[in-house]
Amino acid sequence: MSAGTKPILGLRGIRKNFGDLLVLDGIDMDVSKGEVVCVIGPSGSGKSTLLRCINLLEPPSEGTVILEDKEITVSKGDLDFVRQRVGMVFQSFNLFPNKSALENVTLGPEMVLGRSADVCRERGLELLARVGLSSKVDEFPDRLSGGQQQRVAIARALAMDPTVMLFDEVTSALDPELIQGVLNVLKELASEGMTMICVTHEMKFAREVGSRVIFMDGGKIVEQGPPAEVLGNPQQERTQKFLGLVLDR
Amino acid sequence: MDVIRHLYFDFPTVQDNFSQIMGGFSETVQLSLIAGAASLIWGLILSLLRQTPGRIGAPVRALAISYIDIFRGVPLLLVLLILYTSLGTLANQGTIPDFIGQPEWFGKTSNFWIGVYALVITYGAYMAEVYRAGLEAVPRGQTEAARSLGMSHNQAMRHVVVPQAISKVTPPLLNDFIALMKDTALVSVISLNEVVQVSSDVQATTFNSSALMFAAILYLLLTIPLARMLDKMIAGQQLKVQRAVP
Repeated sequence: MSAGTKPILGLRGIRKNFGDLLVLDGIDMDVSKGEVVCVIGPSGSGKSTLLRCINLLEPPSEGTVILEDKEITVSKGDLDFVRQRVGMVFQSFNLFPNKSALENVTLGPEMVLGRSADVCRERGLELLARVGLSSKVDEFPDRLSGGQQQRVAIARALAMDPTVMLFDEVTSALDPELIQGVLNVLKELASEGMTMICVTHEMKFAREVGSRVIFMDGGKIVEQGPPAEVLGNPQQERTQKFLGLVLDR
Repeated sequence: MDVIRHLYFDFPTVQDNFSQIMGGFSETVQLSLIAGAASLIWGLILSLLRQTPGRIGAPVRALAISYIDIFRGVPLLLVLLILYTSLGTLANQGTIPDFIGQPEWFGKTSNFWIGVYALVITYGAYMAEVYRAGLEAVPRGQTEAARSLGMSHNQAMRHVVVPQAISKVTPPLLNDFIALMKDTALVSVISLNEVVQVSSDVQATTFNSSALMFAAILYLLLTIPLARMLDKMIAGQQLKVQRAVP
């Protein structure tokens, strides 16, 4: 929480359970404009669920999400409000296989924002150029590498002009040599001031790009702070143990 | 050998009744195409109703599921007979409008349309299940990606999920269409002069099975190329799947 600036996104007492399984156990956090929050933690700690609660893909069982001063409940209008402002990129890309790279990027703005095809096309080309895929605009997803697909997915989310971007382990499904290209796009976005929440296992990325690192375990935030502190000098035993295993690799 | 040739492949018998048989076959083809097209649409509607989301959608889902269960479980012949023996009465009593109870659209007899009803009611249920398999085979991530872009359930279905599902289910739907085409023969029991009825009449007057045999050949002329087309489609899809694996 960078002091002084008003948070763009706030979570208050978020709990989420799937039947008997409690996945999120009271999460409070604020995210300021332009902040890059990196969420780390072991599998099953609730990191992905946290992201999915923010854009209401999974409505929280309890607690509130506050986006741009508006409290989001689960009424229909709120869903539109959230999803048009919060972009999400998935671990498994989830590009639409029946559409070209460009169509993947233009579909959202055309359908949801009702922009004209020409405007969407121009913006789509611009975004694909930005992620380094100008030569691939007419390719279908099955002709693109994982890294290229993921960059299209980022462009697709950006096409909605979101105020917050959620990245759910976006490099976890990629070959090692393709990871850097995607991380570079994220870095560039961060440097342009995009507000981002990244669930990641890339500790180097978290250290270099993150303005804050959150360590989660058992559905709770165990520790958070500037990357250098959390990653370099963790206070909690659980964090130390996790980082001991991850950083040694 | 001569006995067999005379009984099944007697050319004059077919020749003498050629125009009636072809007239019947034309009826069969029309029945297949109209009922087939309508079943494709009705099946898709049923499968989408079955996927209505949320608590508000529950009664719609329940209705769609009951419909599908019932008409997949009742013989087509029975549906046909029930409609045939009751629709006219209902129309006469004014319970249902005449244009539904005694339909004579586009110059076709009401028996033709009752045949279409029965085929569509039954095959709609079969095809709904085929569509459902296709809709369920589209990964959940596709819907989530569409929804996270702000699309509504209907937009996500229309632009993302349904187009992918349909390309997956085209071969099994074609398979159902072949089955439907053969089942049009059942409509002969309500005395529609389709190819089986006509050939059967020829047999009854000539005591020769050649007309029936000829009807069988006419069916094969349609079904075998369709089955080959189906094989090609499946092979094409498998190729695509193999290529998609990185």
